[in-house]
Amino acid sequence: MFKFIKQYAEKIDHIEIYPLISLVIFFVFFIVLTVYVVKMDKKSVKALANIPLENEEPNSIVQL
Amino acid sequence: MQVEKFYYDNKTVKNFAYATMFWGIVGMLVGLYAALQLAFPSLNIKEYGTFGRLRPLHTNAVIFAFVGNGIFMGVYYSLQRLLKTRMYSDLLSKIHFWGWQLIIVAAAISLPLGFTQGKEYAELEWPIDIAITIIWVVFGWNMFATILKRREKHLYVAIWFYIATFVTVAVLHLVNSFALPFSMFKSYSWYAGVQDALVQWWYGHNAVAFFLTTPYLGLMYYFLPKAANRPVYSYKLSIIHFWSLIFLYIWAGPHHLLYTALPDWAQSLGVVFSVMLIFPSWGGMINGLLTLRGAWDRVRDDVILKFMVVAITAYGMATFEGPMLSLKNVSAIAHYTDWIVAHVHVGGLGWNGMLTFAVLYWLIPRIFNTKLYSKKWANNHFWLATLGIIFWAVPMYWAGFTQSMMWKEFTESGQLKYSFLETVTYMKPFYIMRSLGGALYITGVIFMLINLYKTVKSGKLVANEEAEAPALPKLGARQAGEKWHTWLERKPVQMMVLSLIVILIGGAIEIIPTFLIKSNVPTITNVKPYTPLELHGRDLYVREGCYTCHSQMIRPFRNETERYGEYSKAGEFVYDHPFQWGSKRTGPDLQREGTGNLKKSDGWHFRHFREPSSMSEGSVMPPYEFMLSKNLDTSSTKAIINAMRTLGVPYPKGYENIANQDLMKQATGITNNLLTDSIRISPNKEVIALIAYMQRLGADISKPSK
Repeated sequence: MFKFIKQYAEKIDHIEIYPLISLVIFFVFFIVLTVYVVKMDKKSVKALANIPLENEEPNSIVQL
Repeated sequence: MQVEKFYYDNKTVKNFAYATMFWGIVGMLVGLYAALQLAFPSLNIKEYGTFGRLRPLHTNAVIFAFVGNGIFMGVYYSLQRLLKTRMYSDLLSKIHFWGWQLIIVAAAISLPLGFTQGKEYAELEWPIDIAITIIWVVFGWNMFATILKRREKHLYVAIWFYIATFVTVAVLHLVNSFALPFSMFKSYSWYAGVQDALVQWWYGHNAVAFFLTTPYLGLMYYFLPKAANRPVYSYKLSIIHFWSLIFLYIWAGPHHLLYTALPDWAQSLGVVFSVMLIFPSWGGMINGLLTLRGAWDRVRDDVILKFMVVAITAYGMATFEGPMLSLKNVSAIAHYTDWIVAHVHVGGLGWNGMLTFAVLYWLIPRIFNTKLYSKKWANNHFWLATLGIIFWAVPMYWAGFTQSMMWKEFTESGQLKYSFLETVTYMKPFYIMRSLGGALYITGVIFMLINLYKTVKSGKLVANEEAEAPALPKLGARQAGEKWHTWLERKPVQMMVLSLIVILIGGAIEIIPTFLIKSNVPTITNVKPYTPLELHGRDLYVREGCYTCHSQMIRPFRNETERYGEYSKAGEFVYDHPFQWGSKRTGPDLQREGTGNLKKSDGWHFRHFREPSSMSEGSVMPPYEFMLSKNLDTSSTKAIINAMRTLGVPYPKGYENIANQDLMKQATGITNNLLTDSIRISPNKEVIALIAYMQRLGADISKPSK
């Protein structure tokens, strides 16, 4: 059924390498990111997370 | 350190808030009307208000006007507060606001008039495309200049999402809108066939990702902690969420083209990355929901948190469903059916709609320094909206599944069990039920409009809100002991460049091979350029938005080849600027309409265009009677042929000068045919060109090769 698709995909040399390259790029990217995030300093992370809550507007007493 | 006094600009926020409410109700009402047209085709308004023209109006209004203004409202509010500074320039804010509204008005006028590029969510013609580019740059300029003059060292995660949104939408819009104008308001896509399809769905999918998702995730990361009054559950998770999401999203586009003539390797790539997308998406959803840990008792009382919980849950459902739909075996069932429409609306009504309402309820009382007029009305709105989503989605899931099963069912003797028309008429009750869901949802929005109107009346706009913060000391290069991401978090330009690189990797690996390697789209010697009359007919097909209901892409399944003929080949579309594969089959596929057992007489087409239900009883197609009296504009033939030749279609030199003679010859042939069917019509009418195009569809490939 897919002879047509296969036939012209084969015309691209080493087509099978494309998905592999993609996967390797993402895998490395993700691992580096995860290692970095896990090693982050807890205190500074807490400070960053609190940025939106820092500057309470003058009219922040408004409650529903 | 010296404390500086400054003022937040709330006026621009207010303007965008009003705009999102106004365009929201307009876009939703158009959607409701279009939904009713599918059940009651008599609602089609002659020429300017047919389903094919209103559907793009609905999608563009909801995406770019409702959600677009919603994004800017939230960004202008949160960016100033996260950076402890006023927006960089009031003038740029003003140009951005009014420019965007003008673009929307231009869209609202030009789409019903039939000016369209025929590519979903990118329908707007080239002058509007240029205006969008300019206004988008104004937005980016204003945002980056604000970031540069900030009083907060670090860029909070919400701002990264805004930066990624800005840069990616810019890239998507530029690449996909690449077109060759041949008149004041008309252009042809630079790409053809398979390439056009790949670029379009790379754009289409990422319009969902970077217009409907990333900016709203930014809003979630700001407004949810504000409303819940506690920091986000895990900031570390938000970093992983951000980078993985923007990295993965850009690859996923080809899942819109599974089992089509797109090369297999590109399809597989799309599937793998779409499946992986579930992890960052759910990471974000979990991060949002867990922010409410220990505060769930407040969700019972706080209507804003209720809206947010439903929004985030809908995001979670849609992003679970997305990867599932990207599996080839699931796509085989769901593609072209109302299932996809249901999927989209869980995202649109649930995620974008509910989050916009939450932000509006949160922000309007604050910038007007007052209290919400009625908590009870807001609660009623919440229930109407939630029920509306359920009543909308459930019938459409049901419809989609039923449709697919009916299309695929064979009798014991090996014949297709249902004609296509039977599957259409079966859908009508579902379309009516879905309209009820939509009506409920819109009623809720009207409740909100009244409630917020009363709220605004009870307060006064704090146009310039006073605030104080210490100035930010100059920070130069990376400091000793400073980690690179911490450094990056205070470097907006580097952040943007890195985001750009991350999204370009995916785009490049997907798209470049299709462009560089000629043999990627094999040419079929039988496939010849369209005749001038057929080209005009094709332009009319695009103008009327036929692609909103008809596909031109037969997948290699037995039921499809039985119903429509030989499955589609990439080489058949090499002269199609733009491609018209479609994404939904409210009507049947048309790729082999002019050949095999699907071929009909010219007279049949004529009568069908005049009154579709006269030939197919129960058809929901709009009548195109006006094309019987409207003259075909042959003055543009020369420009059309020239433009096509520039794009690589091999018309012989000088052909543009004699093209109209060929056109008349072919048209007269059709009118003579019609005469034998006792239909008298002059050859210069639009319907003749459209008939010529219908008869050409699929005809090339069935000819014996010489």
